[in-house]
Amino acid sequence: MTLPLTIENLTAHYGPTKVLEDLSLSVGAGELVSLLGASGCGKTTTLRLVAGFLEPTAGTILLGGKDLTKLPAYKRDIGLVFQNYALFPHLSVLENVAFGLKQRGISPAERQKRALAMLERVGLSPLADRLPGALSGGQKQRVALARALVIEPPLLMFDEPLSNLDAKLRIDMRVEIRQLQRANGTTSVYVTHDQEEAFSISDRVAIMNAGRIMQFDTPEVLYQRPANAFVARFVGFENLIPMHVLARQGEQVIAEAAGGVKLHFNQDRFGQIPDDFVLAARADGLAATANLAAEGLPAMLGLRTYLGRAYQYQCETAAGLLVANGSLSDPLRSGDGARLVPLPEQCCILAPEHS
Amino acid sequence: MMTSRIHPLLLLSTVLVYIFLMGPLIIVFGASLSDTTYLTFPPQGLTLRWFENIFKIGAFRRTIVTSLELAFLATGLALFIGIPAAYALNRYRVQLPTWLSTVFVLPILVPEIVFGFSLLKSVAVGASAPIFVALLIGHTLLVLPYCVRVISASLASFDFSIEEAAVSLGSPPIKTFFTVVLPNVRSGVIAAFILAFITSINDVSTSLFLTGPGISTLPIQILAHVEQFFDPTIASVSVLLMLLTVAVMAIIERTLGLTFLAK
Amino acid sequence: MLKRHAGWVIAAPATLAVIIFLVLPVAATIGTTFGDPDGLFAAYADFFNSGFRRNVLWRTLEISLITTAISLFVGFLTAYVVAKSPGRLKSLLIIAAVFPLLTGVVVRSFAWLIMLGKNGILNNFLVAIGVTNEPLSMLYTQGAVIAAMVYLFVPLTILTLVGVLENIPEDVVQASASLGATPAATFRQVILPLAVPGLIVGAVLVFTGSFTAYATPQLVGGERQMVMGTLMYQRAMVSFDWVGASTIAAIMVVLTITVVLAMSRMARRLNPMAT
Repeated sequence: MTLPLTIENLTAHYGPTKVLEDLSLSVGAGELVSLLGASGCGKTTTLRLVAGFLEPTAGTILLGGKDLTKLPAYKRDIGLVFQNYALFPHLSVLENVAFGLKQRGISPAERQKRALAMLERVGLSPLADRLPGALSGGQKQRVALARALVIEPPLLMFDEPLSNLDAKLRIDMRVEIRQLQRANGTTSVYVTHDQEEAFSISDRVAIMNAGRIMQFDTPEVLYQRPANAFVARFVGFENLIPMHVLARQGEQVIAEAAGGVKLHFNQDRFGQIPDDFVLAARADGLAATANLAAEGLPAMLGLRTYLGRAYQYQCETAAGLLVANGSLSDPLRSGDGARLVPLPEQCCILAPEHS
Repeated sequence: MMTSRIHPLLLLSTVLVYIFLMGPLIIVFGASLSDTTYLTFPPQGLTLRWFENIFKIGAFRRTIVTSLELAFLATGLALFIGIPAAYALNRYRVQLPTWLSTVFVLPILVPEIVFGFSLLKSVAVGASAPIFVALLIGHTLLVLPYCVRVISASLASFDFSIEEAAVSLGSPPIKTFFTVVLPNVRSGVIAAFILAFITSINDVSTSLFLTGPGISTLPIQILAHVEQFFDPTIASVSVLLMLLTVAVMAIIERTLGLTFLAK
Repeated sequence: MLKRHAGWVIAAPATLAVIIFLVLPVAATIGTTFGDPDGLFAAYADFFNSGFRRNVLWRTLEISLITTAISLFVGFLTAYVVAKSPGRLKSLLIIAAVFPLLTGVVVRSFAWLIMLGKNGILNNFLVAIGVTNEPLSMLYTQGAVIAAMVYLFVPLTILTLVGVLENIPEDVVQASASLGATPAATFRQVILPLAVPGLIVGAVLVFTGSFTAYATPQLVGGERQMVMGTLMYQRAMVSFDWVGASTIAAIMVVLTITVVLAMSRMARRLNPMAT
């Protein structure tokens, strides 16, 4: 069983502070959606509201059309995987997994059978009789996963499930989580602050900040076409350069950056360009060259670091400190003057930030 | 928290428990003000003469002084030997055998009344030590475990590499202890002092055998007085002791914050 | 040299103090009970041959067990509410439990003397509402001793158990709810089992404390409710029977240490958080 989750106009307060503002989100049946953001952005609050551990000030939560908003947590039938695993320390691995089935009045023989089958799927059946204290972090998280999956919930939610594991295990576990989720086709909400994790595992990602969703889209779109400066910065566009349009000639637009540098943009590539905009580029998208005749931002090169695939330069420009990459074949020296050339296919044009 | 609401019956029982906890002490307070020669509550008439009466009775005057002297001296002594012990138990954890920390649990395992009686036999009678010395030994050992345990607990979260950093910067070890280690366990020392002081002041079972006709402590004097008189003087002495508790809690609040009590 | 033994040197004064002034005297006290010319265990035979003393032992055990059971039950329910209370109220409730704890045993036992006496508030109340015509004698009964002892130990059980309940991670309780456990089921299947080690610690504190108590049974129970503590004092200071008093002391020590060791072993076995 799998159901779509719809969150409408959710607002929440901790005392007088508003932690969530008018948040709406829909997760399709069988879809895995991540809530991604720094701590305090409201992602965990959203999860706790859906789970029923917090009460919203306003808004509704619908699971397959059924209104959960007023339902106590234990009647919501949502599988939860916690950051600290939250295993019952006094129960064996098997009893932990069977706990939810017991609450549903399933006979002891049947729940033992189902719990063992689920442990088999996560590869832990040999440890069924152990206490959680005797397990490693990865094993604990598998038990937590099995415990949440065995009740066959219409919705699964993960609260930073991998943040206590080491880097290697984290990658293995996220593949495993994704495979199990795909196989069961369970609608899932995944909360994390780790961008790579969110992008690799999700169908869609909601990037959150200060209690709002900044952009909600597929990882590909988020990565290549951030909708605003916040998301751009979040997905690694280090250089945000404010520009002002001076002239338009058909699809050609001439714009000026601080220091009076003029650059040409093509609306065929970027779409309609507003009079004031921000040019966003990763270090990859700004090529540092010694050719002072190239059309680019004049820069004074600072520290050079070696990245393996390129050199990276800290650059002083009239638009502030920028980061640009340069080719390995042609290393530049710190202290040299250079031009930073924006590569159109790797740049974005965004509306200016309100300050 | 909304995961589980508290059942109204449970709330009612909690209210009753707190009435049960506070009621008797309020009654003692009321009885101390009663203008009658016998103990009664609610007080009939209001007077402070029973408080004056405390100081008219020589035995109370003397035992109050003895109890305060004992509490200060015993607490000071216990801290003097207990702080180094707590430090050693944490700093040299690997070197020292585990039974050593068990030594400081022993005073808790031995019933106080047994300890008091044993001191009477060995120290007061056996070694014919003066009563006050026997009492002082008794009270010091009574409060020593509190000192060692409380200060150990705060040393357990002390990062000894800070001490090594200070020594590597040229500070001699003993000076380092006073300038670096001790200030970092200040709250532990204050807590230990308060706990030890209040334990000593209120002690009955250890002092019971060690007091004589010449020297007694306040709680023992109260016990003796109650056997003969049943007037509100005892209630007013009790109120004095409760005021001491209030003062102690106020000190805790000022120095450590009342959240400290919640631990 | 000094460096290698620094730990020992620094710990020595306190360690020696405990050994010289506590371990040796108590060992000597226990030792004297085996010095009877009539045989190694003559002092104990003497104790158990007296019906009166056997009665005192049973009474003390009975009072201690009942006190322990009531204190734990009351303390657990109260601690549960305290642990769940919001911040400010919680600190207030904790302070209200600490206050009696820091107020001495004598004062707290004396309070019951006032309440249960012939002129006491309880008798006045019962007469006023017409339950009884003349004041009942409530003092010097077993019930009085138990009431005063429960009063003595409830703050301790509340504070011990609040600590234990607060150590139960919030997310474990939430996990239980998310798996469909009703609040009652969560209490029975998660909270109660996780509190067992704390209940054991509380039981040890209350049982050993009430078994060896002196002031409370002396004030509220008197001669009529003689317990081990008061009997020991009477043997030593009224009858000057030091061997008899030492025998009682030895029984107390053995019982206390047995209870502490047995219970702490049980607590370790039942404590899932330890591993």
